[in-house]
Amino acid sequence: MYEDISRKKRKLTAVLLLVLVLGIAGAAVGWYKFFRDEGIPEWITKDPDMRFKYGSIGAEHEAGIPYWIWYVIPRVFPDKFPGSGGYASLGVLWEEGQEMPIGFTKRVIGFPRVANTCASCHTASYRAKPSDKPTFVLTGPNHTLDLQAFFRLLVDVAKDPRFNPDVLMGEIRLVADLGWLDKLLYRYLIIPITKKRLLEREPQFAWIYRRDFPEWGRGRDDAMNLTKYFMIKEPMDDSIGPTDMPSVWNLQKYKPEKGHFMNLAGDSHDARSVVMDSALGVVGARPKSRTEFLGHVDWFLDYLGQYPAPKYPFPIDPMKAAAGKALFNQACAKCHASERTGTRVPVEEVGTDRERLDTWSKEAAIKANQVVRDFGLERKGLVEEPLIGYVASFLDGIWLRAPYLHNGSVPTLRDLLEPVEKRPTVFFRGYDVYNPVKVGFVTTRQEADQLGLPDEHERAKLREDVQRLGARYDVSQRASGNQGHTFGTDLPEKEKDALVEYLKTL
Amino acid sequence: MSAGPGWRAGWKLVLFLALVAVIYTGVSLVVRFTQDEPVRYDDDEEHFKYGSLGGEREAGFPYWVWKVLPKVCADHLPGGARYPNREYAALGFLYEGERDLPVGVSKRRHLGIDRVFLNCAACHASTVRETPMSVPLVYTGMPAHRLDLMAFERFLFDCAKDARFTPDLIIPAIQEAGGELGLLDQFVVYPMAVHLMRARLVMLDRRFAFMLDKGPEREWGPGRVDTFAFAKALLNFRMDNVPERENIGVVDFPSIWLQEPRKGMHLHWDGNNTSMEERNRSAAFGSGATPPTLDRIAMKRVEQWLLARAPPAYPFSIDRTLAAKGAPIYRKWCSGCHGASGRDFSGQAVGTVVPIAGIRTDRYRLDSYTYELPVNQNLLYAGTDDPTERFSHFRKTNGYANLPLDGIWLRAPYLHNGSVPTLRDLLEPRSRRPARFFRGNDVYDQRKVGFVHTEAEGNGQSYFLFNTADDKDRSLPGNGREGHEGAAYGADLPADDKWALVEYLKTF
Repeated sequence: MYEDISRKKRKLTAVLLLVLVLGIAGAAVGWYKFFRDEGIPEWITKDPDMRFKYGSIGAEHEAGIPYWIWYVIPRVFPDKFPGSGGYASLGVLWEEGQEMPIGFTKRVIGFPRVANTCASCHTASYRAKPSDKPTFVLTGPNHTLDLQAFFRLLVDVAKDPRFNPDVLMGEIRLVADLGWLDKLLYRYLIIPITKKRLLEREPQFAWIYRRDFPEWGRGRDDAMNLTKYFMIKEPMDDSIGPTDMPSVWNLQKYKPEKGHFMNLAGDSHDARSVVMDSALGVVGARPKSRTEFLGHVDWFLDYLGQYPAPKYPFPIDPMKAAAGKALFNQACAKCHASERTGTRVPVEEVGTDRERLDTWSKEAAIKANQVVRDFGLERKGLVEEPLIGYVASFLDGIWLRAPYLHNGSVPTLRDLLEPVEKRPTVFFRGYDVYNPVKVGFVTTRQEADQLGLPDEHERAKLREDVQRLGARYDVSQRASGNQGHTFGTDLPEKEKDALVEYLKTL
Repeated sequence: MSAGPGWRAGWKLVLFLALVAVIYTGVSLVVRFTQDEPVRYDDDEEHFKYGSLGGEREAGFPYWVWKVLPKVCADHLPGGARYPNREYAALGFLYEGERDLPVGVSKRRHLGIDRVFLNCAACHASTVRETPMSVPLVYTGMPAHRLDLMAFERFLFDCAKDARFTPDLIIPAIQEAGGELGLLDQFVVYPMAVHLMRARLVMLDRRFAFMLDKGPEREWGPGRVDTFAFAKALLNFRMDNVPERENIGVVDFPSIWLQEPRKGMHLHWDGNNTSMEERNRSAAFGSGATPPTLDRIAMKRVEQWLLARAPPAYPFSIDRTLAAKGAPIYRKWCSGCHGASGRDFSGQAVGTVVPIAGIRTDRYRLDSYTYELPVNQNLLYAGTDDPTERFSHFRKTNGYANLPLDGIWLRAPYLHNGSVPTLRDLLEPRSRRPARFFRGNDVYDQRKVGFVHTEAEGNGQSYFLFNTADDKDRSLPGNGREGHEGAAYGADLPADDKWALVEYLKTF
């Protein structure tokens, strides 16, 4: 009898032990396949520029897309892209030799995942002529990226019937041998979960599908609406305010103690808040590790604080520029090189399109600050006041920050010196051939012809591509007005040319 | 009436035999369907011509389907009937001796059947005849100047889309051709294989449509291929809104000898890659070999063999005195860009890219390789066991690369797009180069150095009329015969010097 019980006990213990061992083994495999974090490779961490371009900021946890899905999306859904070239056709910048486009990170968290970092929106490209390769300028505004199209792409592919394990695995099978376990995981967990997660974004992105809103086009995003709908999860309202991607070089110029505010409408207190909020936007959720996240923020502040604005790469006429300097001091310096620079100027005074201001509010700022505080992150944060106007901007590297005005409604600096009625009303944004005459990018066929490139082939290609690859911008659409900032528009033509020549030197 | 012990023993025996039968069948099925074994060749050149690179695992056609397809779809391969059992010869494939598969087609036992697909030799081997009556001599490593790859693709796709592409017609055709398929093959394996093959071809047809459906003026003709259109198809680029200036990249197949001394040079016509291994893996996509299917050992063997494999010597007579006269002319005018000789590739600009504004040859091939392509190619071979395999050497260039001239006599027609039929014509300015000529004839033109290109047909075969220009002598996109001309390129040399130079080039 006792013997019997003890035998039973032993049996039970053995079974329990087996279950335990199997459980631990299963948990270990599960952890390994889904949670092990291989961190950031050394070739990225040891080189600051590489880290800026390709370094993970931890966005792979929540906003990441499984690498092999990311890999085959362009192959399975070419029709969802604007042209040939996969992600590159969206204006994503991509260096020769690099596996990932600039601003795209690859990190193994259980399995390789792809996410983004600041550089995807904050690296600029330019070329002197169509056959040149692009020159990439880190921390510059990515004026070629169609971010709205990229956001839509990820929702649209998830909604497409082709987004299913059979089709995706069929394509992945052609490029990689994943092994049986990963194949199973992809088929039964990773693909269905990714689809679900991408579809979850759809309601919050409803506003980027609105037909009554203008397209952002290349080089713009609707930053405060993104914050409103994703961070504080407000219901959709009727506001719209896409603005140019900003340059993020030389952030140390912003001095809150001198009354400087950041972001186009002065809606944020200091660089640290802006970096943190932007990074939170990329990460898309409460950071997995607060310490790691703050480490990234500090690193970016340091890197961007000192990153110099790029020098103008084409010839400058020194005499003309010297004459322009005097004009600048008379006409522009009081806002753009003075105590007033970096401070908010009432919109009535400048007269530019006000819709960007109306996308945000004091209440929204209070809520957003609370969300960030709840993440356990301290910062001065967003300005809890109504927005009164746009910040008088610093003009360092202004040559690469075209198109101009906060909404990018004026293609070149020379156009900005024209009275409103003589500024271009329809043009094409996001083509990166530079126009050194007008200072900005080539945005119309007419401009392409005026540039008079010596080679016939280059001329023809420029003419064709500016419109083919550029995003049409129409100043009559909502939030797109090119009015205001009429300073200097009554100068004689020659003086305007001189002024523009000087601006190249900034 | 109870069952006796004998009865029981009988049952046991039956059960035992049944069990044995089941196990035997199971094991033999497993053995059969998990087999993955190429036909192997001891000789390196045979391996090059018929050896597998692994592509059959993904792209391979069932051997017997390959064999009977020209009969089942006879009207999609009009010339096929002239070559019984060697119908693919009508598309420019070469058959040697009694072999049942042409040069450049390899065979592998995989998934329970023999599967066949192309290897390197399909595009890099061809034939030469001294006279129309001579027996063609096969040379490996030379451009497949007779292969009409576009017609081959079209034949496969048209056949796959035809209602006759069905097991009901294909399997009887196989039996008739001597396939001797067993019941399992007849009713299960081959019907399934036919359906899979059809599905695969229809998928590829959609992806390739942009390069095949450009109308008669854009026919590649024999010996030519739109190399990087395949890369675009592989990446499945959206092609419907690509302008014509970036959508034509048809070039001659290249020769592939002497890779060792080419290491580090700018490879491909526009010099877009400096890594030989990467270039080879890129080309191997054409054999159906993908990162998961590439047979790396077989590939390495071909690669090694090509390092030192030299072109064959010019087999016809050379006027040594005249050639000797050509040597200093070559040294003066050509060697800086094309190398000291046919074996010594030294020279300051050999293997570098000459800007298009300097060389001025047809620019379509250059423009078809857009910046978006190399950056997307960076993803090829990513995520394999060997991280160094990932492509990282492709670059956008702005011209065409200077090539060494080893075996140049076998590399006609000339220029990257094959727009100039002979070496002698190349030394003339555009206005005096033939505006149209015939491609695909392997009879040799010993005088001008190149292939006979003035005959519309020979041996019952009609050749491909290649137009470099329209009626008003405006260059056709991609086919222009201009460039590589002017004083610097020897165009102003006296005729005697040009003849001497051409004679000398025969020795390369």
